[in-house]
Amino acid sequence: MEDKDVKKEEHKGRKHVEDSQGDPRIIAFVCNWCTYSGADLAGTSRMKYSDNVRVIKLPCTGRIDPLFIVEAFKKGAKGVLVSGCHPGDCHYTSGNYHSRRKYATFRDLLGYLGVDLDRVEFSWVSASEGNKWVSIINEFTDKIKSLPGKSTDIFTKK
Amino acid sequence: MANTKTDEKLQKIAKDLLESGEVSLVIGYAKGSNLQRMRPVFITKAEDAGKLSFNPHAVQDLAVFLKKPEVKKFGKIGIVVKGCDEKAVNALIQEYQISRDNIKIIGMECNGVIRQSLADKGETNLSESAVYDKCLICEEHIPVLYDFLIESEEPKLVLSGNVKPYSGIEKLESMSAEEKNAFWAKEFDKCIKCYACRQACPLCYCSRCIVEKNMPQWIDTNSEETGNAQWNLIRAYHLSGRCIGCGECERACPVNIPLMLINEKMAKDVYNMFGYKSGLDINAKPVFGVFSESDFNDFIK
Repeated sequence: MEDKDVKKEEHKGRKHVEDSQGDPRIIAFVCNWCTYSGADLAGTSRMKYSDNVRVIKLPCTGRIDPLFIVEAFKKGAKGVLVSGCHPGDCHYTSGNYHSRRKYATFRDLLGYLGVDLDRVEFSWVSASEGNKWVSIINEFTDKIKSLPGKSTDIFTKK
Repeated sequence: MANTKTDEKLQKIAKDLLESGEVSLVIGYAKGSNLQRMRPVFITKAEDAGKLSFNPHAVQDLAVFLKKPEVKKFGKIGIVVKGCDEKAVNALIQEYQISRDNIKIIGMECNGVIRQSLADKGETNLSESAVYDKCLICEEHIPVLYDFLIESEEPKLVLSGNVKPYSGIEKLESMSAEEKNAFWAKEFDKCIKCYACRQACPLCYCSRCIVEKNMPQWIDTNSEETGNAQWNLIRAYHLSGRCIGCGECERACPVNIPLMLINEKMAKDVYNMFGYKSGLDINAKPVFGVFSESDFNDFIK
């Protein structure tokens, strides 16, 4: 086998790995106190949900900078979910209220610049809502999978 | 060219301020290299006050200089502002960038400024089609806050309604995601990452901008499509709820990206969602510094 072929084979192999790990990829930015615990509950209760999602835990939705969403899109994520405590339940009292204001605006801006708004999702999931977490992830994955293949955004390299 | 009555009033105020020591610097406009151009001028001596002038060619937003350390070191500053520029001063006071006590605002009643591109071709009359879009939607012909007010000798702008300001916004809003995507991809493709928009903006005052932070590097610094979109998106996001609509970013842009279509859209959305307009009240809290329990919640599951 020539070097070139080896490279090709390697490339194929890598592609295969990517496929098995779930394509389209969905990134979920979650808060430590509510949604992460909710996802944990889903796990310990042995509930199954789509393996397309990758969960990134942060202290609070207030810490989830809109830049993170842009970065996820840039790195090739098809969908981004931001999830935190229900209004009134924030561990830091008001982080989720602040982020709600930010995201209401940021979502408009994303839509205005041509990002399909079906690709971003926001939710409140409490520590006891393992069920809600599972259904949100599954519905979101279905929605992302049903998007037309060419749905692009201005952040991903063409 | 002879001084107009407006110029005389302006010069007298500046002279008195400097002579009495109430301010040590007056930022204003002086006549430029031709009749259709004005340029910023920094007056530190009372005898130089005669340089000051004002007319519908005074397009610059002088509030941008208030963020500069070399200007701040003068301490007490007098500044000549139009209604739109004055909102930038208010926003800076709101965000604790300058103190109200350190600034004397010389407000100019303004009925619009003439587009520089037209002025360079000799346009001197204020008319609906000659002024910037911001002047057509202006509600602050008289600045909202001032220490001195100089009334305008220019006739009021007559609006027939034939020229639609920021008509691009409605057009874009009605487009599909893909069409919008194509539109902005084309616009941002032109961007050369010169950051003139940031430098010209009175409210972009961070001493270290997000684009200069490289651990981690959030925004690609090379000028190619993806990094350009990121930069323009983040700048627009950082200005949403803050932009006062002076339009300096768009005027400074060397490749003519219609930045005000984004900024105006965000200002409109913030007003619709939170009922907040930037730069109108120095005692108001910035819109993203506060929240309400009953905020817009429809998009969250």
